Amino acid sequence: MENSSILKVKDLVVHYETDDGCVNAVNGLTFDVGVKKTLGLVGETGAGKTTSALSILNLIPGPAGKIKQGEILLDGHDILKMNQSELEKMRGNDVAMIFQDPMTALNPVMTVGEQIAQVFELHQKASKREAFAEAKKMLKMVGIAESRANDYPHQFSGGMRQRVVIAIALACNPKLLLADEPTTALDVTIQAQVLELMSNLIHDRSMSMILITHDLGVVAEICDDVAVMYAGRIVEIGSAGEVFNETAHPYTEGLFNSLPNLKQQGEELVPIKGMMPDPSNLPSGCAFHPRCPYATENCAKEQPGLRHVGGNHFVACDAYNDAAFTLGGGVN
Amino acid sequence: MTKTLLEVQNLTKYFSTPAGQLHAVDGVSFAIEKGKTLGIVGESGCGKSTTGRAILKLIQPTSGNIIFDGRDITDYNRNQMRPLRREMQMIFQDPFSSLDPRQSIFKLISEPLVEHKMFKTKSEVEKRTLELMETVGLAKRLVNSYPHELDGGRRQRIGVARALALNPRLIVCDEPVSALDVSIQAQILNLLKSLQKELGLTYIFITHDLSVVKYFADDIGVMYLGQMVEKASSVDIFAEPLHPYTKALLSAVPVPVVGQERRKRQLIRGEITSPVNLPDECRFCSRCDESQEAVCRAGNPPLREVKAGHFVACARLN
Repeated sequence: MENSSILKVKDLVVHYETDDGCVNAVNGLTFDVGVKKTLGLVGETGAGKTTSALSILNLIPGPAGKIKQGEILLDGHDILKMNQSELEKMRGNDVAMIFQDPMTALNPVMTVGEQIAQVFELHQKASKREAFAEAKKMLKMVGIAESRANDYPHQFSGGMRQRVVIAIALACNPKLLLADEPTTALDVTIQAQVLELMSNLIHDRSMSMILITHDLGVVAEICDDVAVMYAGRIVEIGSAGEVFNETAHPYTEGLFNSLPNLKQQGEELVPIKGMMPDPSNLPSGCAFHPRCPYATENCAKEQPGLRHVGGNHFVACDAYNDAAFTLGGGVN
Repeated sequence: MTKTLLEVQNLTKYFSTPAGQLHAVDGVSFAIEKGKTLGIVGESGCGKSTTGRAILKLIQPTSGNIIFDGRDITDYNRNQMRPLRREMQMIFQDPFSSLDPRQSIFKLISEPLVEHKMFKTKSEVEKRTLELMETVGLAKRLVNSYPHELDGGRRQRIGVARALALNPRLIVCDEPVSALDVSIQAQILNLLKSLQKELGLTYIFITHDLSVVKYFADDIGVMYLGQMVEKASSVDIFAEPLHPYTKALLSAVPVPVVGQERRKRQLIRGEITSPVNLPDECRFCSRCDESQEAVCRAGNPPLREVKAGHFVACARLN
């Protein structure tokens, strides 16, 4: 198992120090991404999903944002110990990111061909002409006619722009792709096209991916493993089958219950009561306990760690504290 | 006794653009009975929001008729519309931009009451405002807060309270939950549903999210490029979608189920065509897997009743 992961995140803590206090965005995050596996990182607004992804690229916006502790091992190398030039090499070559909003991720005054070609010029020291030829190939790969390489982003629709962003991200064949809500801004039929494209490309190129999303449907479509985040921590992690079919954490259960389902009709939805806690003032103990229907006295006192509940399935909930052993040091 | 509250006949709204006429809404007809919910579903640019706005006369339709409670309001001017505003209200998509950031919650919710001179005294306004806050589940202590102090779910509750303030009969909900997280989405959907039961409201529910309307609507109209391509009861649409676009739309929704056999996806090719200067043919045919060249290019098919209560605009289903 040890060698089969591309990325290991261990006990990551990221805080934003603001005038109004310290925002505890990520509070002890531990997970692995297997080679050629897609991990879905699920959670609602403010769960710390995007902050986690940005730390993997060491892109946490300073000076407020600080990685307080933890290790991020990409293929055995600690990203947090890299110097600037090592980081620049790593970004794009080994890890690439797709952002949520294709409308703002592209440069409006450069043609899409130039923007893709830039990657080849920077990372592979290709000449302008070679790079542009490669860029055209990438466009074709994501399903855009080569003849459109000289068009500007505003001449494309949202779905097409996201295809361009994907082409840029995949240009250097990264080992790991971070996709932050890649289809949230798109219509469902276009979303289906883009998801299909992404999963085919990742498969063909033997890449790993972290897919950040709030949409459990999207996770079910393309992820092998799922990690559910709440208030900067993983509360449940396991294979997609385990998390979806043997849901263990009350928060995950709450997420499923609040989804309107295409299969049923008319039934009352069961929302999670209350709201996401303020990350600068998290509740004591388990951060979910004020909203949890099963909470006991102990939940307010102790922060539960991830516990093994079978297979690759781990849950951070006091209700499972009789399980055989706890997750330590990223065994997964 | 059921009675039609709103009837829309052949509604069109064209916008003039330098490139030609933009057909935002092109001959949409439907009727809603009192106390029912009509879901209008479609993707960006299909004309669903324009339809909603035209019904409330927030934009003047190019042609067609809007009949509210037996009165043809299509050509009503501002002054004539004013008393009607009490009866038809709207809930907007984005609770972050639809509320004035400089008004307190009290001001925001009491504004329609004051504007329409619903009460003579201040204390009556105050009483009603607090009552509304309770109805939509906003704590009394928030009465002097400002929108930026609240999260999306609570802001949307203000939007709902504002819409309810004048005791309307019809509320047009334009994507009321799409800006919200799922757990909050469920809270607002449950609220809207229980309000409907209590107050006998009629809703037009505009959304791109099919799973939301299934939960919510009695009838559903699916729109594509300004036209309604399928209209039926919610049960029928989901049990037996007939229009190729509806089928594709349903199959494109990612379902949160793992382990069962993966459904064969019906992906739609290409993207929505430009709504400017449309040719006289089926508007979906260039993306349709089932299209037959001769039949589908021969003209724009009208909405026809294929089964009892199930209307489809597809030339192949004749």
